Amino acid sequence: MIIDKKEVGKLADLARIQMEDGEKEALREDLERILDYFSELKEVDTDGIEPMTGGVFHENTHRHDDEYLETGAEREDLIRAFPEGERDFLKIPPVFE
Amino acid sequence: MDIKNFTIKSFHEGLMKKDFSAMEAAREFFDLIDEEDGEIHAYLRKTKDLAFSRAEEVDALVASGEDPGILAGVPIALKDNMLIKGEIVTAASEILSKYRASYDATVVKSLKEARVTILGQTNMDEFAMGSSTENSAFGQTKNPHDFERVPGGSSGGSAGAVASGMAVAALGSDTGGSIRQPAAFCGVVGLKPTYGAVSRFGLIAMASSLDQIGPFTKTVEDSAILFNTIAGRDEFDATSVAKNYDDILNKEVSKTKELKIGLPKEYFVDGLSDEVRRGVDEAIQKFKKLGFKIKEISLSHTKYALSVYYIIMPAEVSTNLARFDGIRYSRISRINADDTRTNAEDGQYKSVSDRRRSALEEIYFRQRGVGFGREARRRILLGTFVLSAGYYDAYYAKAQKVRRLIKEDFEKAFDPSADGVDLILTPVTPTTAFKFGEKTGDPLQMYLSDIFTIPANMAGIPALSIPVKKYKVGGGELPVGFQLMGRPFCERDILSVGRMYEQDAD
Repeated sequence: MIIDKKEVGKLADLARIQMEDGEKEALREDLERILDYFSELKEVDTDGIEPMTGGVFHENTHRHDDEYLETGAEREDLIRAFPEGERDFLKIPPVFE
Repeated sequence: MDIKNFTIKSFHEGLMKKDFSAMEAAREFFDLIDEEDGEIHAYLRKTKDLAFSRAEEVDALVASGEDPGILAGVPIALKDNMLIKGEIVTAASEILSKYRASYDATVVKSLKEARVTILGQTNMDEFAMGSSTENSAFGQTKNPHDFERVPGGSSGGSAGAVASGMAVAALGSDTGGSIRQPAAFCGVVGLKPTYGAVSRFGLIAMASSLDQIGPFTKTVEDSAILFNTIAGRDEFDATSVAKNYDDILNKEVSKTKELKIGLPKEYFVDGLSDEVRRGVDEAIQKFKKLGFKIKEISLSHTKYALSVYYIIMPAEVSTNLARFDGIRYSRISRINADDTRTNAEDGQYKSVSDRRRSALEEIYFRQRGVGFGREARRRILLGTFVLSAGYYDAYYAKAQKVRRLIKEDFEKAFDPSADGVDLILTPVTPTTAFKFGEKTGDPLQMYLSDIFTIPANMAGIPALSIPVKKYKVGGGELPVGFQLMGRPFCERDILSVGRMYEQDAD
């Protein structure tokens, strides 16, 4: 067994996902089979190979830091895009104890 | 107006000849959607106000004698993971069910500037995770060719909308085949551009090193038109690249015919269904008849692409989807505030939530627990696993190295100094469209349906899915597609060759 149910619970914790016991077991079985499939990678010789990180082409970008957020229009749009609000305030569920 | 058979080209001609106005066309398309989409369910939402205001502008321009551009008034659908300012955009996920975009994705901006009529947003697998559109939180989409079968995925709604004629063209996104596989299943043309050719700004990210936006169209010629409109450098996407795509379809047929086509033996293996084998064979024979040089090649690391993909993609998924916390963007209101179960209720281990969770943690756990569907949870957990200490080197680092080997396979195959080829022809999918529920119980079987499309994403190269022939909707046949892959930023090669194939079929 590569992965047990306890570990699935720990992963769900790290990912901040509420999960029922039954689903943890089902997911454990799925992950087990998927990870087993990955074991074919062991046969590939990767000595001295540079990992390929990210996409293919990279070029540095400098964004102008004036203009963009100063028009006020974006501010309104952003407030409206938030799930809840009152006047200019963003409303969130109570999180303090 | 024969709206179901419009191409971008024929729509433009009709509009300019004043056979119809952009407004009339928009109304007819919405009528058609009302009539037929109850069954197919390609659309999640219609954007009528946006469509009508744009159509009005186009008609004013046409009336004043101005050239409004080739895409003006063309009714187009967008996959529901591209932001349209002021509209709900959900990525077919409950966790975003009420999210309203505050800005336009760069592709949307480009389409608006081209005066396209945006009809609405199409169904997809949640966060583009899936190969059948069965993972949508908002219902299934049916394949227009056979209502018992899936349209493919994850851009199944876009493929279905174009195949059924409910849109002249559409945009989708492709991370491991999500444009090309549904295009093949629905009998339309689908292009995944080179990584970096099209801006991803405003695309709800799934796996950032792999995602690309591309067009669904009825013809290769239309694909070139739409690609040319959305491609280019964008200062809001650092991975986008400035390239010139003028003359995207090479008019010099003799030059196009000099291009060499390779058939990688690793793609013609057991497991390929008879229908697909016959279809792809038919395409190869036609290229031979057209006078193309064709030779067998080898891409030796192909068999590892699926494993590499299902390590790298979930790793990026778990990272990208961390931002959906149930506080910003959208909130699920029906979640019971005093439900305080923990993942550690069986008390088997010590971890953050072994103690009572804080109120903030409770919000995260419950919003994400309810808001993400099963496949999203599976991939987030898989990604969390391969990135975690102790497993990182064995899975993630290893996969990144093998990814480079896969890319190098393509570089060698395309190397002119080593008698390389210019294009690679393969099947798009191992089978034709499968039935609903056929693969939902077995994630690995579902993943295997992307086996021929994943390598192009791994290597970042452009790839085009073309129907072997014209498949009549309702004609009783399931479409088969073939794939043309090319060198980075050589969309011109695959589109020009694809166009020749299509013209020969006309």
